[in-house]
Amino acid sequence: MNITRQILDAFIDDHLNEQETIKVEKALRESPELQAQLTDIIKSRDMGDHSIGAIWRREHLSCPSREELLSYQDEALDLDRLDYIKFHLETVGCRACKANLSDLKNANPLPEDPALRKKHQQFLENSKILLPKKN
Amino acid sequence: MVSLDERLLVKKIQEGDQQAWNELVLRYEGRLTNYAQGKIKDHSTCQDLVQESFLGFLSKITNFDASRSIQSYLFGILSNKIADFLRSLGKSKIVENPVDSSGNHKGNPFIDPAMGASTWYRGDEKKKLENDALTKCLVLLINDFIKKKDYLKLKTIELLFVNGLSNKEAATILGINNKVVASHRFFATNFIIENLKKLNLSHEVFPEFYEQDTET
Repeated sequence: MNITRQILDAFIDDHLNEQETIKVEKALRESPELQAQLTDIIKSRDMGDHSIGAIWRREHLSCPSREELLSYQDEALDLDRLDYIKFHLETVGCRACKANLSDLKNANPLPEDPALRKKHQQFLENSKILLPKKN
Repeated sequence: MVSLDERLLVKKIQEGDQQAWNELVLRYEGRLTNYAQGKIKDHSTCQDLVQESFLGFLSKITNFDASRSIQSYLFGILSNKIADFLRSLGKSKIVENPVDSSGNHKGNPFIDPAMGASTWYRGDEKKKLENDALTKCLVLLINDFIKKKDYLKLKTIELLFVNGLSNKEAATILGINNKVVASHRFFATNFIIENLKKLNLSHEVFPEFYEQDTET
């Protein structure tokens, strides 16, 4: 795998699949030059540089909607679309869509563990202080 | 495209509606927690990072642009927080690049101190114009592929632009010829450039396109 600028961009955005991520991390550990290149990319990004890939990943432009993911799960889409979504999940390795799909499989939106459920309730209670004041 | 329902939810939260806030947390918590668990196994830590991401969102809610996707915004904040957390454990080789509670980079060591406030303002404004214009063109491109059911082109462009693969690597994955990949890349690049030009932006945004026109 030749590690290009575009691959490092995708790595920073956490948008590589697991195998690719492992390869990049290994290469970074072994190559000070690659680490320097990564530093330069982060530097240029902070200065306002943005690539097409970065925008595409950040805005999830090709991600199917939740409704489509639900239909994908039920195989209720045409074959071309089913094939594309499979590719997007497995080959592109979109973690956001995988997280969505896994969430859709879970019928209960609240955490099952009582301790986590309590933490969830406490969070809702404590966070309301940050809500804008009603007029 | 952000749904009316999402815009309404943001509007209600901006007006201080606690029920709307609870609904937003409930709606996005599961997918965000699953996303975090892809990188961090401890569920409680994941929940902490997700809750911090929600707080980052809420702290900026007054100025949140309702035309933005809440999901993309929250995933963006969370992704930065995960990277920050892994760095703190020494599990990531990414250079130091800490983020604040909203997911924005803080203490940027690369900023030129000679740059004044007006330079920054112009820079931010130009960046937003470029970002919005590119987003519009990419949405047009992707919708064009989907409308025509040209999924091979979409797959090719996604591998090239999103995963950063070379023509050869994309060709191998898709089982097609290098030349076909190159032609898809050429098509997409032209499509984006032509549609950027149609937006009639100031020549200060993407000046390179107008320089090309002058040369030809």
